Amino acid sequence: MKQYAYYQSCINESMTKEVDRSIELWQHDLGIEMVKLHESTCCGGSNLDYVSPKHFALVNARNIAAAEKLGLDLVVSCNTCLMTIRSAKKKLDESAELRTEVNEILSKEGLQYRGTSEVRHLLWVLIDDVGLDTIREKVKVPLSKLRIAPFYGCHILRPSTVLGKDNPMEPTSLDQLLDALGGKTIRYDHKNRCCGFHTLLVAEEESLNVAAEALQEAMDEKADCIVTPCPLCHTVLDGYQAKALKKSGSHGSIPVYHLSEVVGLALGFTERQLGIRRHIVT
Amino acid sequence: MSDSTIQHNEDSRDVTFRVHRFNPQVDSKPYFDDYTIRLEKGITVLRALNYIKEHVDASLTFRAFCQAGICGSCAMRVNNMSKLACTTQVWDELDKCREPGIIKVEPLRNLPLIKDLVVEMDPLVEKMKGYSNWVDSKMPEENWGRKEFPVSEAEFLKYDKATDCILCASCVSECTILRANKQYVSPAVLLKSYRMNVDSRDSMHEQRLAGLVKDHGVWDCTHCYRCQESCVKHIPIMDAIHGIREEAIAERGVKDTSGARHAEAFMEDIGKKGKLVEATLPIRTNGVVWTMKNLLPMAFKMVLKRRTPPPPPLVKSTKDIEKFRAEFREMSGHVAKDHAKKSGE
Repeated sequence: MKQYAYYQSCINESMTKEVDRSIELWQHDLGIEMVKLHESTCCGGSNLDYVSPKHFALVNARNIAAAEKLGLDLVVSCNTCLMTIRSAKKKLDESAELRTEVNEILSKEGLQYRGTSEVRHLLWVLIDDVGLDTIREKVKVPLSKLRIAPFYGCHILRPSTVLGKDNPMEPTSLDQLLDALGGKTIRYDHKNRCCGFHTLLVAEEESLNVAAEALQEAMDEKADCIVTPCPLCHTVLDGYQAKALKKSGSHGSIPVYHLSEVVGLALGFTERQLGIRRHIVT
Repeated sequence: MSDSTIQHNEDSRDVTFRVHRFNPQVDSKPYFDDYTIRLEKGITVLRALNYIKEHVDASLTFRAFCQAGICGSCAMRVNNMSKLACTTQVWDELDKCREPGIIKVEPLRNLPLIKDLVVEMDPLVEKMKGYSNWVDSKMPEENWGRKEFPVSEAEFLKYDKATDCILCASCVSECTILRANKQYVSPAVLLKSYRMNVDSRDSMHEQRLAGLVKDHGVWDCTHCYRCQESCVKHIPIMDAIHGIREEAIAERGVKDTSGARHAEAFMEDIGKKGKLVEATLPIRTNGVVWTMKNLLPMAFKMVLKRRTPPPPPLVKSTKDIEKFRAEFREMSGHVAKDHAKKSGE
């Protein structure tokens, strides 16, 4: 059983609890175990970095150091947490001065940032560590009836200098996983575009336009559902779906699943077990 | 191995360019023309378009000048990505075709279309003017031409990358928020504003910043990083956007905007609980009235589905919160010292 330090994203502890619930259900079936880091804090959500760059470095050095103390890689299941913590790691790895300053403070808690743990998305772990062949073998209920619109979200792709796993213009990782689960993915423009989450409270009209356009394209391409590796994208595309589509004058709806849920469905868990009934659009 | 891969290893081959056409004097709507030409490896998209114009269809209209990636005039969308035609190799694009062997060429997005591949740049120029993106010298006019205005290397490094911008508008074309609202300031304008605002020779920081924090300004950026990813000069545009936000909050105390309040809530919550208190984030960002009006119907649905974030007293603080709070406060001390040192300089 390969272990990982699991970073608990704020949103998965409040609005999208079904993400962590799903992972807990199937992790052992795929030979992996997520060890929850109860001492980790909010990453700053792509905001703290400009409110206070030094607090941003401290907070995320501490998050990574907690994983390093266990000798494990840090795994996250939210795109923005991924990008944010990786950005902090890049800054820390590039500046000895910043590392020294941060470590001096962290040492009082017995923590040190060394840069030894990688920061990875759950999707990457499934592909690179578990492996697509193993996943294919474990599938009990292939998603073969589903025409899926993969929605990567921004912060698993861009900036590529921080992420670097996929080609941000033509990403394939999520498509590969969905293919291994037996699903058929569609090719559409919005698969690597933005959901609008980060401006929902600041420029709501723009955000809803952005979300509506993505939802509409998936529906126009006759997708049965959207699958996303990011709970923030899910919150907009599911939670705000009715509002966004009403504004754009569109009729119809489309279910949106978390990556962790479709893995669970393919491994034989039910919608009720996975918490899919908690979605707004069902 | 697909057919396209086999052919793409050849030194010469037939390539089809599917080019966006539109002449407002004749056409009711845009359409695509396919031009198939024999090309040799090493040819750029611009040279291919020039060949088509000279030998196949003289009516094809596009903008180009320096042919060396300097003037920025030949920016267009090639295979769904905004880039310079003159620095884009046809052979590299063959890998990215959605239909094997067919390279799609379209005009930039988010700017008004004039003809075929040519867009109107005036809206961008007007925004540059609107946000006062030029250096207004601090030096009294009588000293102009007589005294030097030295700039330290450390200062120059702050805007060195930003000065690489050639105003090609690729980032403008790829911007998510501009696509949703044409009034949005746009990434190229924010980059230039940042470049001016960190220049010690400039006297208009306050005025420029006051404009940038208004509606459709710096806070409307949704952090999608498409601008940065499409930049033909690899400029970290988001660093500039974050730089303006950092200056607004930290140095000039411009906190009376929903964007600044939203960002500061993260700092506040992390410092107190280590976790974001999502339930009150809309109220803290936009006030009670906005929240009731905009989010109440949705909140009702969320309660039914049991997906509402917990109210603040129920947000569990992170483990070892006392130790964390002490560390957070210690870093606040460091930041205060940094500010004092900077303002003393």
